[in-house]
Amino acid sequence: MITDIALLILAGGLPYYTLLEKNTRLSSKNIFLLSAFLLLCAVVLSLSIPNEHPVSLIVVSLLSAIFSIYKATKTTNFYKLGYYLIFVNAPFFILFEDRGILYSVSLLVSLSGLYLIAKFYEKNYGSANYSNITGITLVAPHLGTYLSFYLIALALYPPFPNSLFFLNYIFKSDPDLLSYIVVTTLFFGNFFLAMRVMRKTLFGRPNPNIHYVRMSLKDKVIHLFILILLLILSIFGLKEILL
Amino acid sequence: MEKIILLIPSIPIFIALILFFVTKKELIPKVSIMLSSMLALLALYGTYYVISNGTPIIGFDGLLIYNQLSAILVPYVAILGLVIRKYATKYMWDEAGYRRFFILLNFIFSSIYLLVMSNNLIVLALAWQLLSISLYLLVSFNVGSNTAVRHARWIMIIHKGADLVFILAIVLTYQTFGSFDLAILSEKWLAMSHNAVNNPIVFVIGLLFLIAAMMKSAIMPFHIWLPYTSEAPTPVSAVMHAGVVNVGGILLNKLAYLLLLTPAVLNIAFIVGLLTAIFASIIMLTVSDIKRSLGYSTVGQMGYMIMEVGLGAFSLAIYHLIVHGIFKATLFLESGGLIRLARHEPNLPKRLSYELFWEEKIKSKSKKIFNYLAFFTILPVVVFVGVKMVLSEEFFQFNASIVILAFAWLTGTQLFLSFFKVSKSESFKMILALVSSFIIILFTYEFIGLELEHFIYGDDALLFYKAATLNVTMLMALVMLAAIMIVGWLFMYKQHFVDVPEAGNKPAKFKWLFYKFLAKEGYYFSLLKIFKKDNA
Repeated sequence: MITDIALLILAGGLPYYTLLEKNTRLSSKNIFLLSAFLLLCAVVLSLSIPNEHPVSLIVVSLLSAIFSIYKATKTTNFYKLGYYLIFVNAPFFILFEDRGILYSVSLLVSLSGLYLIAKFYEKNYGSANYSNITGITLVAPHLGTYLSFYLIALALYPPFPNSLFFLNYIFKSDPDLLSYIVVTTLFFGNFFLAMRVMRKTLFGRPNPNIHYVRMSLKDKVIHLFILILLLILSIFGLKEILL
Repeated sequence: MEKIILLIPSIPIFIALILFFVTKKELIPKVSIMLSSMLALLALYGTYYVISNGTPIIGFDGLLIYNQLSAILVPYVAILGLVIRKYATKYMWDEAGYRRFFILLNFIFSSIYLLVMSNNLIVLALAWQLLSISLYLLVSFNVGSNTAVRHARWIMIIHKGADLVFILAIVLTYQTFGSFDLAILSEKWLAMSHNAVNNPIVFVIGLLFLIAAMMKSAIMPFHIWLPYTSEAPTPVSAVMHAGVVNVGGILLNKLAYLLLLTPAVLNIAFIVGLLTAIFASIIMLTVSDIKRSLGYSTVGQMGYMIMEVGLGAFSLAIYHLIVHGIFKATLFLESGGLIRLARHEPNLPKRLSYELFWEEKIKSKSKKIFNYLAFFTILPVVVFVGVKMVLSEEFFQFNASIVILAFAWLTGTQLFLSFFKVSKSESFKMILALVSSFIIILFTYEFIGLELEHFIYGDDALLFYKAATLNVTMLMALVMLAAIMIVGWLFMYKQHFVDVPEAGNKPAKFKWLFYKFLAKEGYYFSLLKIFKKDNA
């Protein structure tokens, strides 16, 4: 039971960010990095200990996820969105058991892309806040393309690995009522959060008061590397789901 | 060698990747069209192979199939795609994101090919979702427009709902039948259909697949995403109305053998289709926006398509979606040319349709015209009955399907009339044109449609008609056909020939309320707004 609770906390099944956010010395970037690191720990830990959880913990993580969805709808900061998404997806880690590991890895890779976008915003626009920086599809097409990829992956659309591992679990398991509730909630939760960001960043008229910055070659290469990672995971996911 | 045909869904992705690296703008459409032409040729070769050998091409461990259904639909989509790409070459030239447009177009075609050629429910689910996201990005192509993005969001929400329903249906299918392979499942379903199936889960599975199809085919009450997406570029509208919206019909055809087990689902499909067809066809005539009118016309046609499925006329649905797709794509793509002509002429451009129907020449009496109209509404019915009586017994199996086809034709003509205001003096020509179009459609279906049915389903085709318990008798069909025709013509007559009431001469309250109901699109959006306010 103790290991279950430990895994639950590490995977983000409890909204501990509410405490961290009160600490003024911790920036949202730090919380993002910390929660991502803890999720990675949970992934590594679950390789050695059985990742099976009682129903009560799934319910707890689901409630935490719903709360995190609500919090994510109130933010326009990429870092915050990033760590909220970790908490939103925690029930999948708990529910999917061993299959949840690969899902969480895909989530972390997608979020690392989002993290780099946030850093890019912080460097060029002063903060990771995307509010009013609209229409980037037109003025910064590369940034728009990469952000589209990450958001589509987070919105659980194929051929990205998040969706493939998610579908793999659903199709290959024997879901009960709770599973259906979790799947439905998070299927739409992830989708609405990603779409909301898409609407406020990729779409809309470019803001004339902002000097839009294009990506440097170095940035492009790093994002390409993340995309290749996602592609490798996708190939693995396709093999898992189809063969 | 023939297995190369199974690479068709990957070719547009390959094209998109090439386009990503093409630097010269002029080369983007050239590369796209050249490679798409090769794809179309490959699709035609595949069709030739399937027809000549009589066997489908299966590959990738049975995940993909090029069967009789693919042999018809893939060349259709490929040629449609080619025309749309050619059209978009100039139409989209000045738009920001020219390359993005062609890349996205290739992605959406890839997902349609994958959907048509999938032989596995998981592949089908992947294609189903890929289609949603590609469509969203295409419809919101004009990213600077708030309304375009907002309406694209409606698409996304409804399609996401369809994705979830579809996934749940697949989960239940696997739990109940133990396979994802459509060929294996179809055999299983066919074998099961010989006995009565009382398992409620089978009904639920059929219903979930039907709902998913309804959502993607803009059937009521999920139709809102289609009429309001007219702000998308015209080539995108053509793709949507001629390709994407048909996926519901394609899905139901792929799952036809499952629906053999669920006559109740077929009945629901018929009723929902009927309601959609009536609702959309009436609203189509009252909305003031011409593109929205086209949108409702498509919704109505999708209603007919689902009705056809509900009657077990699966191949008719395929025939219908192809014919309707060509018709609607032509309408959308011609609109650009018409605008171009209008720019060069001080008056409206004189085309055949214009010369025939546009000019208002008030010479003859309206009563005489009405007699003509009444006469020519009877003629198609007589022709229809004549064909039925003269031809063999087998044709009687398809009576209900023919009625649906007649409904569809009627809606088409209503749309046609509302676009080209009926000229009083030239109405004779107009009626002849419409009647001849109906006869062509009728004969095409009787001869080509039946062949299509035998080609796709062989002897199994009759099983579907038997499964559809809501059979329409010949008499019922004729009465319904005559009633709808008379109401339709009366509506058109009133709309175009009745004098405008003088000032102070208010219309009857009932008529006014009815008109208001239609003009407000059934208060559907008002309800949504109230719901939104409550949530806020």
